[in-house]
Amino acid sequence: MKLLEYQGKKLFEENGIPVPGGRVISGTDEALEAASSVGTEVALKVQVPVGGRGKAGGIKLAAADKVMEEAEKLLAMEIKGFSVDKLLIEEKIEAEQELYLGVVVDTDSGNVILLFSPTGGVDIEQVAAESPDQVFRLTVDPFAIPPRYRLRYLIRQGGFQGKILEKLTGIAENLLQLAFKRDLLIAEINPLMILADGRVLAGDAKVEVDDNALFRQQFEGKFWEEQDELEKEAREIGVTYVKLDGNIGVIASGAGLAMTTMDLLEEAGYRPANFLETGGGITEDLLYHSFKLVCKNKGVHSVIINLYGGVNPIEKGAKGVVRAMGEMTDPPVVVAKALGNKQEECWEVFKSGGVAVVTEVGTEAAVKELLDLLDKK
Amino acid sequence: MGILLDENTAAIVQGMTGRIGSIQAKWMLEYGTNIVAGVTPGKGGEEVHGLPVYDDVYKAVEEKGANASVIFVPAAFIREAVLEAIDAGLKLVVAVTEHVPVHDVLKMKTAAEQKGTWLLGPNTPGVITPGVGKLGIMPGNMFTKGRIGIISRSGTLSYEVAGLLNEIGLGQSTLAGVGGDPVVGTRMINLLKEFEADPGTDAVIIVGEIGGSSEEEAAGFIKTMNKPVVAYIAGRTAPSGRRMGHAGAIISKDGQVGTVQSKEEALKEAGALLAEKPADVPGLIKKHL
Repeated sequence: MKLLEYQGKKLFEENGIPVPGGRVISGTDEALEAASSVGTEVALKVQVPVGGRGKAGGIKLAAADKVMEEAEKLLAMEIKGFSVDKLLIEEKIEAEQELYLGVVVDTDSGNVILLFSPTGGVDIEQVAAESPDQVFRLTVDPFAIPPRYRLRYLIRQGGFQGKILEKLTGIAENLLQLAFKRDLLIAEINPLMILADGRVLAGDAKVEVDDNALFRQQFEGKFWEEQDELEKEAREIGVTYVKLDGNIGVIASGAGLAMTTMDLLEEAGYRPANFLETGGGITEDLLYHSFKLVCKNKGVHSVIINLYGGVNPIEKGAKGVVRAMGEMTDPPVVVAKALGNKQEECWEVFKSGGVAVVTEVGTEAAVKELLDLLDKK
Repeated sequence: MGILLDENTAAIVQGMTGRIGSIQAKWMLEYGTNIVAGVTPGKGGEEVHGLPVYDDVYKAVEEKGANASVIFVPAAFIREAVLEAIDAGLKLVVAVTEHVPVHDVLKMKTAAEQKGTWLLGPNTPGVITPGVGKLGIMPGNMFTKGRIGIISRSGTLSYEVAGLLNEIGLGQSTLAGVGGDPVVGTRMINLLKEFEADPGTDAVIIVGEIGGSSEEEAAGFIKTMNKPVVAYIAGRTAPSGRRMGHAGAIISKDGQVGTVQSKEEALKEAGALLAEKPADVPGLIKKHL
């Protein structure tokens, strides 16, 4: 789950990472009052869950008494497909220097990494590629935040000393603690701004929370969600769904199996309409809703079902599919390959509902059967 | 023979008193697995399937000489369960649980590495050595005893590959599922080393998928292997930047690492045999045995 900038900054502030003064608004009518409470010169920043909004014209500077016009324009914008629901109005900051500080879970090496660069305000990947000696890394033991002296040592290499070094070290320590405490996958401050008066402020906040940790993490307010309605619905059903642009629906019990089914369809010259993975606990309702969901994607003329039964008897799933098909006036062509607990009963249920059943082991056989049926149509 | 799970394995089921843990324990016992006890804090003294339940893993080690565990506890409790099993000195820990927070996985992985414990998962179907036993959720009847090792990131896809091998009479020595999460406890390369050294294995199949770099890393060792390796990688048509079900199955946005192509190139260069589809796997294996 990605947090919007203002949500990330709230987390920062609560955890000892200073941020510019600011207010969030969702309507033009709130703009004037919010801006005048923040300062005489302000920055208006659209709140969207994508990078590059500055270049897209989503950040404007204005005098506090002239914010109405800018606010109206910004709230009417669409940035990279996201409509703007909220603006963050902040005091205008003039930075003397812009740095980068980030904590990321590096899934490839399986470590938490602290990244620091005296060159901030630009894409850190670019800095790492162009001047690798300007990016300093520390691999963090998942059981213990590094001692302060290790953090100080890391940041000193960026060319800092004295008071400012202590401030930066404190912020790095707080960011690490925050990442561990709140199950963050990414906590990036880019830019981290040093002001002429010696203040250090987080100019932006890129924060991503581990969805798997939401059972123990609560966040206030409404958070950005998947925009696609079908993907949202899939989450409610309890399956993983990715919308694609073809017209053959795919339902499989397992991510690898689903991808293989997609790969084989493409190889035969057909396009899958979606990726759908049921997980292990197949029930009648799960397959009923999954099937309906897959058919909601426009242009789906057929569905391929590829299941292995686990804990639950697999024929229950077949009942769900057949029930869903029975409610449709013009059900799609359906081919099913299903193996496991009570597979024979499962095949009978499928057949009774007009589903073509493949009893071979290989997914290829199911794809071939489907293509044969489509040819005949 | 086979790897990880053999005749000397004495396993416990952590979470055996739960619904899933209890059903799965029954199926593992029916398959012939040497399960010696269950562990659930607060349920010590109870019995499930005629086996004692202890409050902690240490007691199962003391009383029954347990050396392996398969864990069916909710994501909220898996970290403690795995860390306890590692601390109690078990050699093999199978974490079936899905949706585990990654910060917890990092701790589990680090502890396992420090203690030299095999940690499969999280989000793994587990491990099966056909004819000996299984620790996990895979259906036992989809595997046959034989001499082909399988390393997999995907449960049901590996069942399909085993089924295709069965059809031409090639059984399996061991199937080890590493798990589908972006961070897991065991690297493929370490399992390859075990299979290479196992006198009961003649060839190894890698069932991989997009995302991460474990297949690329494994390629480094394949170069030095004497046994043939066949690899199938799923996800060639997956769009980049999207998570495909398994949290680990995602092609990075720049498309440079984690793609089927990058994995296949690395594996091919290392001398592995590439299967374009699962159905090609048995033929390739047979040809190179």
